[in-house]
Amino acid sequence: MKTTGTRSLILFLLTGGFLVGLVIFLASLVMEGGNWAFQPYNKHLSSGGQLSYAGEVLDRNGTVLAQSKDGERLYNDDELVRRATLHAVGDTMGYISTGVQYSYRAELAGYNIFTGLATPTGETTGSDIQLTLDSNLSKVTLQAFGNQKGAAVLYNYKTGELLCMVSSPTFDPGNVPADLNTDTSGKYEGVYLNRALSASYTPGSIFKIVTSAAAIENIPDLDTRTFNCQGEITVNGNKITCLSRHGNIGFKDGLAKSCNIVFAELAMELGKEKMTAAAEAMGFNRSFDLDGIPTSKSQYDVSDAEENELAWSGVGQYTDLTNPYHMMLLMGAIANGGTPVKPYMIESITTHFGLVTKAGHTQNDRQLVQADTAAKLKEAMRYNVTSEYGDNLFPNMAVCAKTGTAEVGGGKEPNAWMVGFSSNEQTPYAFAVVVENGASGIRAAGGVASAMMAEAAKIPSAGSE
Amino acid sequence: MLDNPVIQNIFSVALYLLRIAVPLLSIVVVCRCFHSLKAGRRREDPVVILQDMVTKEIIPVLYWENSLGRSRSCDIVLHDSTVSRDHAVLMRRESGWIVVDTNSKAGTRVNGKKVEDRAQILPGDVITLGSTSLMLKRTSEAKNLKPPKRRRVHAASPFGLLFVVMLIQIMLCIEACFAGGQFNYMPLIPLGVLVVMEWGFYLYSMKGLNRVSFELETVGFLLSGIGIMLLCGSGVEATYIQLGALLLGIVLFCVMIWFMNDLERVMRWRLAIAIGAIVLFAINLVFASENNGARNWISLGPVSVQPSEFIKIAFVFVGASTLDRLQTARNLSGFILFGGVCLGALFLMRDFGTACIFFVTFLIIAFMRSGSVRTIALICSAAVFGVFLILRFRPYVAQRFAAWRHVWEFANEAGYQQTRVLTYTASGGFFGVGLGNGYLKSVFASTSDLVFGMVCEELGLILGLTIVLAIALLVFYARSDVTRSRSTFYSISACAAAGMMLFQTCLNVFGATDVLPLTGVTLPFVSQGGSSMVAVWGLLAFIKASDERTYAVRKRK
Repeated sequence: MKTTGTRSLILFLLTGGFLVGLVIFLASLVMEGGNWAFQPYNKHLSSGGQLSYAGEVLDRNGTVLAQSKDGERLYNDDELVRRATLHAVGDTMGYISTGVQYSYRAELAGYNIFTGLATPTGETTGSDIQLTLDSNLSKVTLQAFGNQKGAAVLYNYKTGELLCMVSSPTFDPGNVPADLNTDTSGKYEGVYLNRALSASYTPGSIFKIVTSAAAIENIPDLDTRTFNCQGEITVNGNKITCLSRHGNIGFKDGLAKSCNIVFAELAMELGKEKMTAAAEAMGFNRSFDLDGIPTSKSQYDVSDAEENELAWSGVGQYTDLTNPYHMMLLMGAIANGGTPVKPYMIESITTHFGLVTKAGHTQNDRQLVQADTAAKLKEAMRYNVTSEYGDNLFPNMAVCAKTGTAEVGGGKEPNAWMVGFSSNEQTPYAFAVVVENGASGIRAAGGVASAMMAEAAKIPSAGSE
Repeated sequence: MLDNPVIQNIFSVALYLLRIAVPLLSIVVVCRCFHSLKAGRRREDPVVILQDMVTKEIIPVLYWENSLGRSRSCDIVLHDSTVSRDHAVLMRRESGWIVVDTNSKAGTRVNGKKVEDRAQILPGDVITLGSTSLMLKRTSEAKNLKPPKRRRVHAASPFGLLFVVMLIQIMLCIEACFAGGQFNYMPLIPLGVLVVMEWGFYLYSMKGLNRVSFELETVGFLLSGIGIMLLCGSGVEATYIQLGALLLGIVLFCVMIWFMNDLERVMRWRLAIAIGAIVLFAINLVFASENNGARNWISLGPVSVQPSEFIKIAFVFVGASTLDRLQTARNLSGFILFGGVCLGALFLMRDFGTACIFFVTFLIIAFMRSGSVRTIALICSAAVFGVFLILRFRPYVAQRFAAWRHVWEFANEAGYQQTRVLTYTASGGFFGVGLGNGYLKSVFASTSDLVFGMVCEELGLILGLTIVLAIALLVFYARSDVTRSRSTFYSISACAAAGMMLFQTCLNVFGATDVLPLTGVTLPFVSQGGSSMVAVWGLLAFIKASDERTYAVRKRK
């Protein structure tokens, strides 16, 4: 019987397999339990939507953006506020996956692994989430967009608070249009996408900031150089064109007038390696996150580029891609001496019993620009505004900025960009605006940026840390 | 009365406290039961001794069945070149000690008389193997061996444990009565039947049969009770069949314990059982009605029976064997043939889950009988080849498992059941949303194949884990009792039965939660299903029989 005893050890193999399976199951429950529970068919959440008994979403001033009453999800009273904050807050059905109502649905609905969706009193009661957004600023910004598509983001580069994040087209979550999913005219194209975080746009001329940084760091006699622009140059048989003939032109004016020839020649002189190094240092080929909500990846890839394509990449064309959030962060970095403060949108999460489980706070992000370079870029970008764009666009704010007009091809009008920041202590805001098919950077994006910054300047406690 | 919000709140909190109490008490019962099973066992003291007539060396006889021979794997190793490697087996039976010659070269003699097949021996008799002679003696006759100390047994009171089980059932019944916010007295009926059944069986077992232990039955009642009360939440009518099956299960349990008492009887009936099992399969294949892709049901008037559940018991009977037979009939071909027929029949029935259970049980039995890693490897590679052939020529079989590990991509098609289980399991948290308040019950097969999810949703993850751990502990118990059993028949059958139950639990729990492909097998004791309930109590009888205390009352002093 001794041998039978020894052979029975085979049962431990089975028991081991059982334990492994149990560990896999429990580990996935811990990691994924929230996602498992938040399915549209889960009848514990409601009969009408996922958020029927969820907590409130508030803006920085305590204005209610979303709340649940009697098993229904209700939004702010003002239709424009509802539309302007849609992509930050999210919709009821959870189609906007970057919205707070989706990303933080477990917290809002009161889910945790210990009690699941059950509570001792039999009613589901979730946490309230306060955002750093200003609902009025968002509304004004959306109004500035009119019917145009695009996105605008603005944050306080000293504290990290995200004050405005608007994506257009948008819709009213409190009164979802019937033709939202059936419309074919294109007015709701990509409506569930938060363009500020998840879109990938060709940067166009705003990429010249990156080329400038690379040139400042690698070309010692940059300020004394003179370039000659005759409207076009030919690189191995292909033309690189500029919007006008700038004649003899220096680096600083080249940036202000956004001369393509200057930056195409700089990119070719710097070469693939140095350009790629500068772009990657400034956050290209890497994704960021806003309170755990990931952004799309900005792209700079010249590994297979011909010489003329390298030249185009230096002016933000070729395969270059970016998103407004990244550009805003880059502006925050330049404003802050190279190292940005990490933006955040969740001011606090407070449980039903008043316990604060998460609070937003100021913290530094990874360095994007060297301190000296940041100072020189700031000076150059300030010169852009004073000499070209006009300081009256942003009165009393000492704004440093760069516009961009990104060719999108396909016979469409180019996308208009404006990125920048106020160097004024009272209004420490960095922003990025993109208007799709807006033709001219300064006219289309500049208008939105101007309206947004003017409204942001009115926010009390601005500049205080 | 329940309209007042304050009362309603107090009431909700009270029910929530019940939901916390149920799993905690269940954990206590399971732990105490297994602790008590271990504490109540005999220590490995020698039963009798053998004394070498020449050297006067004393050899303790530790087990109920002992192999004697030259081989190092024997229980009693004799260093004598005239002794065969596996010479003889010394067994203790109701009638006394028996020596069986296991085809040795030199033969075995008792008091000088050659043993033909087996011979009864008494203390003072001399067994001669080759040129070695051993005298059987009582332990008390040996001077240098201390008499075995009777250890104080710290076993938990079986009465107390069953009482706690009853308390748990009462709590679950209260929850069921108030499910949905309204009082309903119907769940009291199954509770009453359950309580009568378990205490009736307790009295019969403890007073009628004078048994000393009731732990395994207590665990069985705990798990069965949870399953039956869970059914109450969705409708009391469903519990009647289940309660009837439980009663039949208890009867089967008693009959099997009685039947296995006489091992000679078991060995005589083995061939009949094997033929019966194959005939049952044949009947199943001819008369089966197709049910959800598998042809594994026979309708007998108003009741439908799943024959494969009962064949599980037959399979264990046929597989297990006493030590003398293990030593003489070394090759497994008979059992391999039987296993192959069973597996083939199950594949024809398209019941792949049960086929896997049979296969794993087959491996356990084959290894415990032969100890040959080579045989096992050969069987496994044959199985892999078989599976390959099936997938090659019957590709639709693979289709059934296409959603495995991708259930969220097919949340409304092939992954429908698994995603619902995961969602509602997570929704339940540690202590559940309350009996009868779940929504998984509206999903197909929620009370059988998906019952783990339903337990987790309504009664909580802790209770769900307690159930599966209780079943896993049966394996530990069966294994640790192997050398204390009265025969290798009991130890092999107990290990096979416990392994079978645990593997079935794995398939059920992990299938529903997408760790393994969903195959649609029941969770032992808990799932709704009459045949399954009856059969699982039959399997429990194997484990009960391996505990030597089960037959202690009949043991002649």
